[in-house]
Amino acid sequence: MKTILNMQDVVHRYRDGDEERVVLSGLSLQVGAGELVAVMGPSGSGKSTFLSIAGALLTPSEGAVTIDGSSLSGLDTKALADLRLTKIGFIFQSANLIPYLKVEEQLRLVSKLSHADAADAARRSDMLLERLGIRGRRRQYPDRLSGGERQRVAIARAWMNDPPLLLADEPTASLDEERGAEVVRMLAEGARSDGKAAVMVTHDSRVLEMCDRVLKLQDGVLVPA
Amino acid sequence: MFLALRELRFAKMRYTLIAAIMLLVSFLVLFVTGLARGLASDNASAIQRMDASHFVLQQGSEHRFARSQLTAADESKIREAGASESTPIGIRQFTVTSGAGEAKLDVTMIGVDPGGWLAPRTDAGGMLAAGGGEVVADAKLKTQGLGIGSVVEDPVSGRSWKIAGFVDGASFSHTPALYMTLADWQSWRGGEPSYTVVALRDASPAALKALKADEAFELLTKAQAVSAIPGYKEEQGSLLMMIVFLFAISGLVLSVFFYVITLQKTAQFGVLKAIGARSGYLARSVTLQVLLLSVSSYAVSTGLVALMQLVLPDSMPFRLTAQTYGLTGLLFVAMAMAGSLLSVFKVARSDALQAIGGNAA
Repeated sequence: MKTILNMQDVVHRYRDGDEERVVLSGLSLQVGAGELVAVMGPSGSGKSTFLSIAGALLTPSEGAVTIDGSSLSGLDTKALADLRLTKIGFIFQSANLIPYLKVEEQLRLVSKLSHADAADAARRSDMLLERLGIRGRRRQYPDRLSGGERQRVAIARAWMNDPPLLLADEPTASLDEERGAEVVRMLAEGARSDGKAAVMVTHDSRVLEMCDRVLKLQDGVLVPA
Repeated sequence: MFLALRELRFAKMRYTLIAAIMLLVSFLVLFVTGLARGLASDNASAIQRMDASHFVLQQGSEHRFARSQLTAADESKIREAGASESTPIGIRQFTVTSGAGEAKLDVTMIGVDPGGWLAPRTDAGGMLAAGGGEVVADAKLKTQGLGIGSVVEDPVSGRSWKIAGFVDGASFSHTPALYMTLADWQSWRGGEPSYTVVALRDASPAALKALKADEAFELLTKAQAVSAIPGYKEEQGSLLMMIVFLFAISGLVLSVFFYVITLQKTAQFGVLKAIGARSGYLARSVTLQVLLLSVSSYAVSTGLVALMQLVLPDSMPFRLTAQTYGLTGLLFVAMAMAGSLLSVFKVARSDALQAIGGNAA
């Protein structure tokens, strides 16, 4: 199994007044293609910091992060933005769709940003929306969608550029049990069928059975839950 | 482009309102500019159209043509100073009656050498004849019922002149000009031959220096002569102040509007950056919106001004050339772009990290 996300001895510190606080203290994690990993932990345990570092949004104080073979160290902000665009698909807690874009435009934006061929992009967005069961809603603005539909659009957006790594930040937080389970099932199936590595930060224990591994963030490192 | 246009489409009301404000401001800018140009022309076109670079006045005139009087001896002295391309002019504001209706007209009588380089090139009718007894008039006098062949009379001396032709845009201190020959001027004024000022062109730097140093004369550039026309500086100054303020207001209104909108969207910009949009792309998107709004508002307001010009009375001094339209438009758009800088800065500072941890909701 090919390793997509490789985090090696990641340490992250930040200054809080005079005090120096260590959020991550030597965290290591390997996620392979086709694998969905759940990361749990109480609030304040550093889940957001972990996800930001894995998602190339934050540079760790120490340690190395490699995504799909590319090392993140030494990349400037533009290169990091390009890497996020092509290698990482983000799914945020409350979908975070762009309010003034219709569903299919949310997807086209991603392909626009990566200068993909328009016809290919149209085919791919149709395919993804069909697969997630929201093709009928493709000309709607996000404010006309239900919470579950919005999260499905967010998943489609994350998949649009066919990135090897998917990162989900509590994707079920604003959904009821049934919709939450459905969203996680789609994530897991997508990861398996397309050979993507997926990491989901969650504290929703109802969805853990669909994950391949469940880890807990404790004292700045990941341990099996 | 993709984001900018779709956001305009989505928030039509919001952007229509700001475009309406921009439209009104740019309309006002154009209107006041047109008025300023019109008044400037109404006040000084007789001087502006002269192909002269400098004017020589009597010492102590304090730049005012009306206070200057030069003798024939002065005139030859100026010519001998090396300013060979010099020609004397007589200028006097006066009231004449038109032969037709005995109506009184305020005019500026200008005496020029009919064969010289200041002789008015008429746009209608004949040129000023050397023989005398004729005048060439500013075309504005046509609205007073005067035509070619009409007679104007000095009610004091009883002298009269026939209108030989018309020139467009020749007025001085808001009165239409009447050009006559210098010989007529002399015999009308009577007494020793005298002139008001001497106009120069192509004068050598040495000649200009000598004239400037001469205690008997005042040397003015054309621009100085124009701004010394009574009321000119005051009119233009206050109108210019309005125009400057309008530009500043339009820049400020836009910058506040876009800044507030950008602040509202900080979280959204964070999400866009997290999914891989570069800061430059987002900044261009905001700039493009400002550009679209300012250019389209300006385009509509030029149309409105053009329509309004059709219904303005002829007596209203209003003048906008294609060049003024273009220059004002460039300034207006530039000001709007400057106003968007604050937002662009804010966009560049918005942090993708905000998207993680549910902060962006």
